[in-house]
Amino acid sequence: MNTILWFGKPEVYPPQKERLVRTMQEALYPIECRQAKISYTGKFMMDICFQYDDGAVIREKFNFGQFPIMLKSKLCYLRNAPPKKLVSFKEEPSEMGGYFILNGLERVIRLLILPKRNYPMSMVRNSFRERREGYTDKAVVIRCVREDQSAVSVKLYYLSNGSARLGFWIQGREYLLPVGVILKALTDTTDHEIYICLTSSYDENYEKYDRVKGSVGTQLVGERAKIILDEVQELSLFTRNQCLQHIGEHFQPVMIGLENENHVVVADAVLKDYIFVHLDNNHDKFNLLIFMLQKLFSLVDQTSMPDNPDSLQNQEVLLPGHLIIIYLKEKLQEWLLKVKNLLQNETDNSKKFDFNSLADIKKVIEKNYPKQISSAIENMLKTGTLVTQSGLDLQQRAGMTVQAERLNFLRFLSHFRAVHRGSSFAGLRTTSVRKLLPESWGFLCPVHTPDGEPCGLLNHMSSSCRITSYYDTKGNVRDFLKTRMSVLSVLVSVGMTPSLPKLVQAGPPKVLSVLLDGRIVGSIPSDLVEKAVIHIRRLKLSATSLIPEDLELGYIPLSMCGAYPGLFLSTSPSRFVRPVRNISIPPEESNKIELIGPFEQVYMEISCPDGGDGGRKNMFPASHEEIHPTGILSVVANLTPWSDHNQSPRNMYQCQMGKQTMGFPSQTLNCRADQKLYHLQTPQTPIVRTKAYEKYNIDELPLGTNAIVAVLAYSGYDMEDAMVLNKSSVERGMFHGHIYQTETIDLTEQSSNSDRAQRIFRRSNLDKSSHHLIDSDGLPYVGQRIKPNEPYCSIYNEITSSTSSTKLKGSEPAVVDYVAVDVKNKKNLQKVNIRFRRPRNPVIGDKFSSRHGQKGVCSQLWSDVDMPFSGVTGMRPDLIINPHAFPSRMTIAMLLESIAAKGGALHGKFMDATPFTSLLKEGNEGQKSESSSLVDELGSSLTAYGFNYHGSEVLYSGVYGTELTCEIFIGPVYYQRLRHMVSDKFQVRSTGTVDQITRQPIKGRKRGGGIRFGEMERDSLLAHGAAYLLHDRLHTSSDHHIADVCSICGSILTTSLIQTQQRAVREIVGLPPGRIPKKVMCIACQTSKGMETVAMPYVFRYLAAELAAMNIKMTLQLSNEAGG
Amino acid sequence: MEGASHQRFPTVKIRELKDDYAKFELRDTDASIANALRRVMIAEVPTIAIDLVEIEVNSSVLNDEFIAHRLGLIPLTSERAMSMRFSRDCDACDGDGQCEYCSVEFHLRAKCLNDQTLDVTTRDLMSSDPSVVPVDFADSSSGFDNPENRGIIIVKLRRGQELRLRAIARKGIGKDHAKWSPAATVTFMYEPEIHINDDMLETLAIEDRISLAESSPTKVYDYDPITNRVVVVDPEAYTYDDEVIKKCESLKVPGLIEIHPKEDSFIFTVESTGAIKASQLVLNAIDILKQKLDAVRLSEDTVEADDQFGELGAHMRGG
Repeated sequence: MNTILWFGKPEVYPPQKERLVRTMQEALYPIECRQAKISYTGKFMMDICFQYDDGAVIREKFNFGQFPIMLKSKLCYLRNAPPKKLVSFKEEPSEMGGYFILNGLERVIRLLILPKRNYPMSMVRNSFRERREGYTDKAVVIRCVREDQSAVSVKLYYLSNGSARLGFWIQGREYLLPVGVILKALTDTTDHEIYICLTSSYDENYEKYDRVKGSVGTQLVGERAKIILDEVQELSLFTRNQCLQHIGEHFQPVMIGLENENHVVVADAVLKDYIFVHLDNNHDKFNLLIFMLQKLFSLVDQTSMPDNPDSLQNQEVLLPGHLIIIYLKEKLQEWLLKVKNLLQNETDNSKKFDFNSLADIKKVIEKNYPKQISSAIENMLKTGTLVTQSGLDLQQRAGMTVQAERLNFLRFLSHFRAVHRGSSFAGLRTTSVRKLLPESWGFLCPVHTPDGEPCGLLNHMSSSCRITSYYDTKGNVRDFLKTRMSVLSVLVSVGMTPSLPKLVQAGPPKVLSVLLDGRIVGSIPSDLVEKAVIHIRRLKLSATSLIPEDLELGYIPLSMCGAYPGLFLSTSPSRFVRPVRNISIPPEESNKIELIGPFEQVYMEISCPDGGDGGRKNMFPASHEEIHPTGILSVVANLTPWSDHNQSPRNMYQCQMGKQTMGFPSQTLNCRADQKLYHLQTPQTPIVRTKAYEKYNIDELPLGTNAIVAVLAYSGYDMEDAMVLNKSSVERGMFHGHIYQTETIDLTEQSSNSDRAQRIFRRSNLDKSSHHLIDSDGLPYVGQRIKPNEPYCSIYNEITSSTSSTKLKGSEPAVVDYVAVDVKNKKNLQKVNIRFRRPRNPVIGDKFSSRHGQKGVCSQLWSDVDMPFSGVTGMRPDLIINPHAFPSRMTIAMLLESIAAKGGALHGKFMDATPFTSLLKEGNEGQKSESSSLVDELGSSLTAYGFNYHGSEVLYSGVYGTELTCEIFIGPVYYQRLRHMVSDKFQVRSTGTVDQITRQPIKGRKRGGGIRFGEMERDSLLAHGAAYLLHDRLHTSSDHHIADVCSICGSILTTSLIQTQQRAVREIVGLPPGRIPKKVMCIACQTSKGMETVAMPYVFRYLAAELAAMNIKMTLQLSNEAGG
Repeated sequence: MEGASHQRFPTVKIRELKDDYAKFELRDTDASIANALRRVMIAEVPTIAIDLVEIEVNSSVLNDEFIAHRLGLIPLTSERAMSMRFSRDCDACDGDGQCEYCSVEFHLRAKCLNDQTLDVTTRDLMSSDPSVVPVDFADSSSGFDNPENRGIIIVKLRRGQELRLRAIARKGIGKDHAKWSPAATVTFMYEPEIHINDDMLETLAIEDRISLAESSPTKVYDYDPITNRVVVVDPEAYTYDDEVIKKCESLKVPGLIEIHPKEDSFIFTVESTGAIKASQLVLNAIDILKQKLDAVRLSEDTVEADDQFGELGAHMRGG
């Protein structure tokens, strides 16, 4: 009997609350998920269809569980909601969505760099050699992606004997086939035809004049073609059918579900499922394989360069939706296979089982838990790990998702703009993958990458960069087939010869192959191609043409041993694109903003208004122009004022610190239940700001304060990046902040199943000591201040009728800010969120930073009267930093900011500090000498108000009242308070708990442990000769122990305390009591003679015990100090 | 220092006096006295400010601490402050600071009942003592005359939100907390003496003279087109920025203008927060300075206790 099983009509429903009454449907909103720590999921229903032989199709709906819903996706309630509506949903008015809520945590799928799809890339890698005997280090690799986004990579290896092998992976194993076999198996062809195709890239005529520009073939190509064909003959395969038989025979064991099919069917399946899966036509596959072989031979003959897999040119990005869809596909396939096996077992084993009985089949399917599909997706999002057999053609299986922390807006935003190179590269010794390559110009921000371990691997997209998707800019779903057809017709109209029915028998110098999304669609004469490209670029911009605006026209021109030439077009999703202005089209056309990709960018002439010509002279006129130079910077990097005046690492540091700033994390602070939220009480908008600041509405969620900063060495407390804060300014509210911390108490979670529901929140009526802290419902009063170790929540156990309380951890008091209860369970309260508020006003040791990578620690809160003051205005600075912070760091922009902010404050207006604007001005006006410099502009705005041109002022010492000997640079600078605060970090211990086994002080700040006095510290004390101090630290203050040692047997373990019988010795009045008799004896020697006491670290005794456990006896040889 | 001090008799000449602003000259003394006066005005003249807040209901968007902090910073009229007691040494109330000698009680009750945002301001703050109320800027002639003056906003309430609290104001000084500081700005400068060497000025071209007069960022000099001379119009506008001297040097006439600060004359500018009048602030500061000096003078009577103070006692007596 032949049964077919398949899925049909998948449907996902909007998130709904779980209700006991099924008819009641109530929407589940994201904020409720965040507060209740549940997942934002919708029901996933799908039909499973059966067909027995040729009978009628039976459909049955099954519940596949709760599928995670992305915020602001089609099924999300926040979709298309205007800001006002969002506020009514208790969301941020500027909520952008794009993440998932799982167990109340917001998680984002990381954007991951992948090799560019459907593009044959030539590579040289030593690891290819180790494949097998005879392999070289050269190969052409293509990552083929199906319409459903699942990918299969295929590698074409070059063998040292001149032949090639096609390698592809099935179930974690690589299979290598001679190309000849595949070529013959794909189409009905002759050896002669294959030979002609392969040698088409070589033209004898060109050989006469040595090498012509752009010729890729050499004489050797013909030889290799012969070898390839000979190889097939040696296997005695002559016809297509024989080749298919050969493939089918070998692959039958690994092709699941085709065990009983004949070899040809199996071979067809292999070709269909594993070789060039992005193509559905065997002719296209044949053509592509020929093209790849030509590229491979050209690589071997060094007529073309290998492609760089680390360059953005050959890369694309893994989108969240694509990851989910390929993971879902794999899970569904697995599940269906299992169902099939279960049904098989059922029919084989049980007689009662009836195929026509729907109930029986349903039972079997339910046995396989259809709900596991959704939970698999949910778990993948929760943990970021893929549980997969095939690996999904991805390099990594962990770290696919990260939590989107809302520390501040910049950090939150950066999670969505970050692009990761892949965790497999993190452990790599070589640094080549981390390099900033010119190919990523305009797409990845050169500034915004962390320093340290993930440097260069975790990049951020530039502010103008986007990624193509299934949707066009108008939000309509794309029809890729249609666009491909229209692109094809345009190509034909500009002079391309279509490849069907037969491939054109000519090679690169004369004609170029045209690849559209990895399919050879034809060839175009090389003298026509440039015109064609210009024409298509124009069509890209016009609204009426069917050419998509983000079509990538990767035209690789002919060159001497450059990249392999060709015209590579792609319309696919998940490519990087960015807008540039096309200046080569006539001015009457309105739309001039063209979207370009990294692949084509390399071969385009894009001028940047930097005042120069970019080295292109007049030979290569620019066809495109950057819209604004700041487009190359990420959103965060764009916020640094005048970043073009700073030393570049300082801008990188600012990108890091901007994301650690305590600011205004959310406008819905009162509704949030995050683990930890940092909140600055009185943030301000910066006086000096870039255009991006307004564009991205950072004022909605600001993160800093304009502080009056004086640059001078005063009080000595501003040395080494320390800074002195004005005590009065702090008392007036500068940099005041809070930490909001939420504790979730879930009674169902803590208790075992047995006493569930027997635990409720209730306070004890007997013990009234905590009644001032806890209300009658067992929960704290809102606004109540709770000291450390005081109870804030009381739980009553109905079985044991005892009350237990939860106590406040930590060493500082907290205020109960908010208590939220989960009312899902009507009967008894089981889950509460208690949000605490901890004040975090500036203290000595807190960290602050300007926007120029100038971080420092507050070293002193200096009283206002002692601060230097201006004789004219009477101003005292809020903050003093040391002038030594500038010479080596060269953060000129900070000085400019100070002057500009002073001018801005005097004039009562914001100052624009967008970087590179002076370059634009020069470019536009075309007159360099006349334009006034930035400093001139700023300086004159100060002199207009009677201030010094350079921003310095005469200050008087606050202590002595005398004029300071030099003028002091003073002005407002926007300062950020960083989240690193001493109150969360200080660690101190005099005595305390010790480790059970070693009797040494424990570690860990939370448990009141000490800080390790480690080996290096030991070394330094030894070097100083401070032996006594060392002894004190490592012994006396640690695990000092006095052990009894038996000097006869040398053991410390055999000694034992023995009970001394109370001898009635009469105390003689006036004399000291007699010597206490020895109480210790050696068990082994059965004597208490020779007992000695020795001071030693307790771990030594432990060592002896451990050794004894391994049957190693340790003996001590005792001697006195003289060494006798 | 010979040790024999030259007793001087400082003089004060008032130039300008408003409720919250004062400008005066202090002559015949030195920087130490001038600075001591400045420091006392900022940090040690007592005022009254809210120090303890008991919040009954707070459903506003600002948290309790934030509101308490804001209340503390409200300037209260503090004429009484000098005669009031510090709660820490008040006998009447055992230092809990809730008696009439050392504290003033405030009440605030506000609830928003309609859809319009309600501004809770200092006008809503009810005082138990009519002499201690939030400073009203509408009455002062400081240019703060807003026709709809409603005081300082404490918090804004939306429909249904409520704020109810009791606050205790106490006497204190700016040294303890900035909220008790009566001075917004106190500054002084040395009076400059400016000499223009007319003979050297002759050597300059007319344009150079004009540019010299304009080189100072503040309006200190003017070019007189009739006499063709640079004249000093406002020496006190000079900020000791040396711009003119640098200009002279660049014009190759160093020494054309010479400026010396008068070491014994100071021009004070005092701005008050409104808690006490600027004039009162200066007087109070002098009082307090005298009180502090009393402590030093006391040691005159402690010759017997020399063994207690040692050399210090003798030192304080001027030995």
